[in-house]
Amino acid sequence: MAAETESRPGRRRRLVAITVAALVLAGLIVVLAMPGPAPRRYPERQPVRFWHMWTAEWKGVVERIVQEFNESQDVYEVIPLSIPAQSADTKFLLAVAGGDPPDVMGQWNNIIPTWAENGLLVPLNRELMTPAEWDTFQRRAYPICKEIGVYKGDLYGVATGTNIWACYLRLDHLREAGLRLEDFPDTLEGLLEWGRQLQRSDSSGHLVRAGFLPDWYLMYCNGFGGGFYDWEANRVTIDTPGNLRALEFIDANNTALGKDRLQRFRAGLNWGSGIEWPFITGAFSITVDGQWRVEQLRNYAPTLEYATRPIPPPAGGKPHFGWANGNFMIVPRGARQPRGAWEFIKFWSGLTHPERAATYATWGGWLPLTPDVANAPVYREYVAKYPQFQTFLAVMDSPNVHPTPPVPYQNFLMARIGRAEEKVWFGRRTPAQSLAELAAEVDRELTRRKELGYAD
Amino acid sequence: MRRQELTGYLFISPWLVGFLVFTLVPFVASIGLSFSRYDIVSSPLWVGLANYRELLTNDPLFWRSLRVTLTYAAVAVPVGLAAGISLALLLSLDVRGMSVYRTIFYLPSIVPVVATSVVFVWILNPNIGLVNGLLGLLGVEGPNWLGDPRFALPSLVLMGLWAVGGSMIIYLAGLKDIPVQLYEAAVIDGAGTWQRTWHITLPMLSPVIFFNLVMGVIGAFQYFAQAYIMTQGGPEDSTRFYALYLFSRAWQYLDMGYASAMAWILFLVIMALTALIYSTHRRWVHYGG
Repeated sequence: MAAETESRPGRRRRLVAITVAALVLAGLIVVLAMPGPAPRRYPERQPVRFWHMWTAEWKGVVERIVQEFNESQDVYEVIPLSIPAQSADTKFLLAVAGGDPPDVMGQWNNIIPTWAENGLLVPLNRELMTPAEWDTFQRRAYPICKEIGVYKGDLYGVATGTNIWACYLRLDHLREAGLRLEDFPDTLEGLLEWGRQLQRSDSSGHLVRAGFLPDWYLMYCNGFGGGFYDWEANRVTIDTPGNLRALEFIDANNTALGKDRLQRFRAGLNWGSGIEWPFITGAFSITVDGQWRVEQLRNYAPTLEYATRPIPPPAGGKPHFGWANGNFMIVPRGARQPRGAWEFIKFWSGLTHPERAATYATWGGWLPLTPDVANAPVYREYVAKYPQFQTFLAVMDSPNVHPTPPVPYQNFLMARIGRAEEKVWFGRRTPAQSLAELAAEVDRELTRRKELGYAD
Repeated sequence: MRRQELTGYLFISPWLVGFLVFTLVPFVASIGLSFSRYDIVSSPLWVGLANYRELLTNDPLFWRSLRVTLTYAAVAVPVGLAAGISLALLLSLDVRGMSVYRTIFYLPSIVPVVATSVVFVWILNPNIGLVNGLLGLLGVEGPNWLGDPRFALPSLVLMGLWAVGGSMIIYLAGLKDIPVQLYEAAVIDGAGTWQRTWHITLPMLSPVIFFNLVMGVIGAFQYFAQAYIMTQGGPEDSTRFYALYLFSRAWQYLDMGYASAMAWILFLVIMALTALIYSTHRRWVHYGG
């Protein structure tokens, strides 16, 4: 009887209450059903929280290395966490500012000078390495690994895998064009000619296959005797004859091929990893890419016939040149387990046990920290099995390969170099004008920094 | 009454605490930070007016980003208003299945901006994109939308129309509020469609237009995600929006003090423009009775 006499607003209120209660209950069930963090395997050990940015097949490799470390000793447990690369830097900065950073982080972005200058990173040689370890690093690490990890004389990042770029050549395309690998050009100009013979267009003139496109300014500067940093005088160099020649060379080639045509061609390519890499799809006959592609080719295109060669120097230029970066490990200021972090870094990089690290380097197709790792039997076997890898080892040791200039305004510098290239690409400035403007822009930034009290 | 007030405050206390901790305190703190050099970890170092001085006298990118943002606001806001009103007028017609059409036009505005941006990168691809594909059918070779400095900013303006359904819904609600007697009287007086629109609909809709104008200007000055995902400020800084440059200064270059000064200048610009719009509203906004 009461139900029959219940008013309409009353019924509505009851309906709303039931709906809300049902939603809350459903939410609770979902939350409770969600998998929690995996229980620690070694709860009695000291936890070492390790952030990294690897995903896909690399994540599995990283977790295998972590597992090996955890099984190798009984003091620490490394707990890995994959952070999306796009937001990793921001998350890291917030974590450090909030006083709860990871103990160790795997990085590959241009962050060491800026973060070290601002006191976000632990100088490993001063606070964690023994004198013997620091001595070993200084004596044994490849020069490029030192350039990547050392800032103002202190070591902030230990490379676990350096990235070096070289030419990948599709042998089927070479055969089709009547070219022989044995005749690989010894100059960049010669390689351009090969590129012209290898490229294909459709009936409307659109490029459907590129032969060879040298358009990565930073990669080519060192070959022309340029580069954006004088590694002996420790200063940024911009408006130099070498940098100008490199930009003019790239612009001349782009103009000859047709910039709009090139841009349309490039826009249709997917540069992601794996099977969509344009070299695998056949969009490029010769391309410049990193050593990790050897491992990807093994996985995704095991039957593809290819070879690798160092980028040939321009006529009169420097051999075995290029730009490099690295996967390196950093320890943030405020880490709770810096000792455990350092043990893990040593374990992976092979600073003290190169044979073990050599195995890990082969898992990821990485270039090692020291020649000791590269000369370990397991690594030599890997290189013998994939001879294409040898090219990268040869280039890695070259004095003409350098990373991004180690200055605290590194990101600004890189962004503006990119814009200087764009001005030339769109024909708004000549290479000379663009470099002069870039130099002025960087000078202005330095003035700004001085005005605000930065050391440099 | 006091007990009622207390209960009310208790109910809104989660929001109040969140507002105080996550909005008001950082808001006030950023005033101080804008007069300092601050890298997020070390203590702020007082630099007086240096950040503002450098921004205004020694940073062409600051002016460039302001110009890009102003240009975007000057074009995108009126275009968005016109598109939203037109769409609302069309969708207020008495046609069968109108609710379905309204839903269709509204749906894009609730798609997350990241997803929309990623999809538009492909739609605007010069080689394999949908837009140039359609233009190709007409025998026109479409431009490199996002890769050409002449087209990148207009592309983002056009893309903004994708989410016009959000304001359209507000206009539709406004249209529903216009008394039907006004139209009946106008018809009796012999007014045509255009006259009814111009002399009844738009004036009666002006409070809603005013609201959307203010919100649109504020939104335009905070434009960030699409440019961050689709163009990263390029090509040639043609889409270097103010918020994008501010983000770079804060998180990539670790110039938090400098970025705070930028944020305050942005705040003042938005306040000034909003005040300017408010100062004109008596002349063109009609509140009915």
